[in-house]
Amino acid sequence: MNLAFRGYKDKGFTAIAYFCVLLLGFLLLVVLIPMTGRGLSAVLFRETVEFRRMQYAIFNRGNEERLRAQVARVEEARRPIYELLDSFARGIDTESQISRVRDIFRRFNEELRLQNVSDESYTELRGKARHIRDLLTEAYTSTDREEVSKLLDEVLAFAESPGLKGAAEQYFEMARSYSKTIKQMDLADRQRYAAQLSEVTEAIRDLFGPRPDEPMPPLAENQFGATRWDLVQRYLRRLLYSEQWVQTDPAKPMEKKLVCRTDPKQFGGTELEPLFGMVESSLDELFLPRLRIYWQYFIDDSTPGYFFGGVGPEIFGTLLLTVCAMAFAAPLGIVSAAYLVEFGGDSRIVRLIRTCINTLAGVPSIVFGLFGLAFYVMLIGRPCVLAASLTLGLLVLPVVICASEEAIRGVPQTYKEASLALGAGRFRTFATVTFPAALPGILTGIILSLSRAAGETAPILFTGAVFLGPIPNSLFDKTRALSYASYGIATGDKVGMTMPHQQYGVVMTLIALVLCLNLAAIAIRWRISRKLKGY
Amino acid sequence: MTQETKTATNISAAAEFTRPLLLTPAEDLRGYVLGYTGRGLTLLITFVSVMAVFLIFLFVIRETVPFIWLDTLKASVARLHHFLSSSEWYPQADEAEFGARALIVGSLYVTFAALIVAVPVGLISAVFLSDIAPFKLRQIIKPVIELLAAIPSVAYGFFAIIVVAPWLQRVFGFPTGANILNVSMILALMAVPTIISVAEDSLSAIGREIREASYGLGATRAETILRVVIPAAHSGIIAAVILGMMRAIGETMVVLMAAGMAAQIPSPWWNLSQSVRPMTATIAQEMGETPKGSEHYFALFAVGLVLLVFTFMLNMISQAFLVRFRRKGQQA
Repeated sequence: MNLAFRGYKDKGFTAIAYFCVLLLGFLLLVVLIPMTGRGLSAVLFRETVEFRRMQYAIFNRGNEERLRAQVARVEEARRPIYELLDSFARGIDTESQISRVRDIFRRFNEELRLQNVSDESYTELRGKARHIRDLLTEAYTSTDREEVSKLLDEVLAFAESPGLKGAAEQYFEMARSYSKTIKQMDLADRQRYAAQLSEVTEAIRDLFGPRPDEPMPPLAENQFGATRWDLVQRYLRRLLYSEQWVQTDPAKPMEKKLVCRTDPKQFGGTELEPLFGMVESSLDELFLPRLRIYWQYFIDDSTPGYFFGGVGPEIFGTLLLTVCAMAFAAPLGIVSAAYLVEFGGDSRIVRLIRTCINTLAGVPSIVFGLFGLAFYVMLIGRPCVLAASLTLGLLVLPVVICASEEAIRGVPQTYKEASLALGAGRFRTFATVTFPAALPGILTGIILSLSRAAGETAPILFTGAVFLGPIPNSLFDKTRALSYASYGIATGDKVGMTMPHQQYGVVMTLIALVLCLNLAAIAIRWRISRKLKGY
Repeated sequence: MTQETKTATNISAAAEFTRPLLLTPAEDLRGYVLGYTGRGLTLLITFVSVMAVFLIFLFVIRETVPFIWLDTLKASVARLHHFLSSSEWYPQADEAEFGARALIVGSLYVTFAALIVAVPVGLISAVFLSDIAPFKLRQIIKPVIELLAAIPSVAYGFFAIIVVAPWLQRVFGFPTGANILNVSMILALMAVPTIISVAEDSLSAIGREIREASYGLGATRAETILRVVIPAAHSGIIAAVILGMMRAIGETMVVLMAAGMAAQIPSPWWNLSQSVRPMTATIAQEMGETPKGSEHYFALFAVGLVLLVFTFMLNMISQAFLVRFRRKGQQA
């Protein structure tokens, strides 16, 4: 064969090999960077005043006086926006206006009864109030501008009549603001405006949380507005633009298009138009953002559903599970390894043991879960931390044995011989010479098994993990765990839609935990190899 | 004077050493018994692994028996035949059907699809590490590959469903991003470290002499690797591939999150944008909501047994190849 061609082939092969390894490194980065990067935003982000409110309300953290001052400032800044929204809603949201009119009538009646007026004037005033009520109701129902203004004039004619005081004065206020509204707006478009207005109100609610005059919603997830700057940006987009599906080409599926809210087809030219500019230009005033390192993410409990707060109980649960698993697996594994090295020749029993260890290492993790369910859970009576960690312990047993065996085998033979020559027995030699010398290697193996156990999900699915639940009091309770939470939070859609950083945060924590353990193991191993080389 | 004190201290030091150097017969016996009981105890502890394997088989089989055994032999055989040959998996229906063929095919399908990518990449990387990479580069790459193996499977699953699936939908216009293509790519990534580490071990175990003989005959590096080193290490490499396969077939969380969970046999077979429902995912998803002792519960254990037998056989084969490889090495 041509020599040059062979040379090219050789170079080509080398290039392919370099490419494969670079590809692997690249893939590692592709997997790690988006997850850790976005996960970090659960810890490092720009908080808003809503976040501070949430921290104070749920975790009792922060300075109350300063917070109160900030909330007052923000409410001051938000008031004009609410007022604008309300006054616009008066022309649109007729149902709530009508119910308000009825409410006024009811209150006026009660006032009358308490005022102790004569029967005659009571009947007269009541009749008048009822008449005004009907007129206003009709005005709100009608879409004809002429008719409405006529009805409103009729209502306002009563304004000077004596006796209609107290609650009844609100009638006239409503009538006045309504007559102002109808001058600016086409009443026929009420339906369209109503739908768009509800979108805007919702976006405002997402941004600012419940209004100060509204009762607090029972669920914590609804009690606060946008807690983070990225959420502010997202909700602001929803406030400023309307998403519409338009058909550009009959052959193609509909396309999403963003329409600005100040567009004439939306709120352009109405009383509401300045609102959008107002919100956009004074975001800093409205939210008082500040950079925050939320390190408490790693110790905080989350409100039910992972909406706010951190992953403290998950980290605790994972550590509990892995430490219990290692408490089971480490002694067993080290003794087994010691037996295999010190006494194991190539007898039939040793071969059987080795086969079994290899088989155990090859059993799929979900089958360990099945075994845990059929054996440990049945033995203990219910799924709990103990059952889960024993299952995990069994899973990592082969890893511990292999690592310890390698470490014990790595101790130079001369050490043992020196000890034996001094008259120490086999056990004493192992306990005082071989084991301490092998300890760093064994430790490496144990750390690696810890990381393996921390990452496993399938064995704990049915043996003791829960997605939502209290922190375990004893080994006989169920626990939350990082790995199970990563699974649950990835498949639960609500948290993902509204709080993606929480999703990434859990996985980031798990990966960080596992990688830190692995890096520690690599570092220890590096030191051992340096020592063995005699540096 | 000084001479005398020296002798005196010597004598007193000798006098402190009171224990006789010879053991009495009783002490000798005690040491003998202790030694053997210790050895027996450690053997007993070592036997926990054996017990574990035994118990795993015992309990999985025990929970499978009520599903397979239906009073008469004929009915049992019919049940077994239906279980393995039907692809109707409707455990929640009124007339529950437990045909696991689609699940088994799904598992094998994603595994082989993953291996098509993982085997070449893994083997070439192993060759790179053992023969091509300079020492320093190898010191960097090995920990990187270890990290790749260390990332928890649930994190890979998360990546598959949250990052890869929307990307696939956007770029290729698939109706769902949770499909065979997605899962096999991730499984390949997970199997590669296993393949690399076992294959690299066996490639490095092939001695320098063989390589140098080949170079001495004028072969290039590529020729040496392809014609000499890989054939010499072939049993170790086969073991590596099988171990990678075991990793992929036993993987639960990735397929649970990103395989789409449709109990169907892909048709046409080359269409990778379809969803499947591998065995591991079926167990993981359905076991949580199945009452203990129901037929569905036992059926899931039967699926687990199939999985266990599969991996057990693969493991035995790979161990046999590894043993063969070691023997050959010893002979050489």
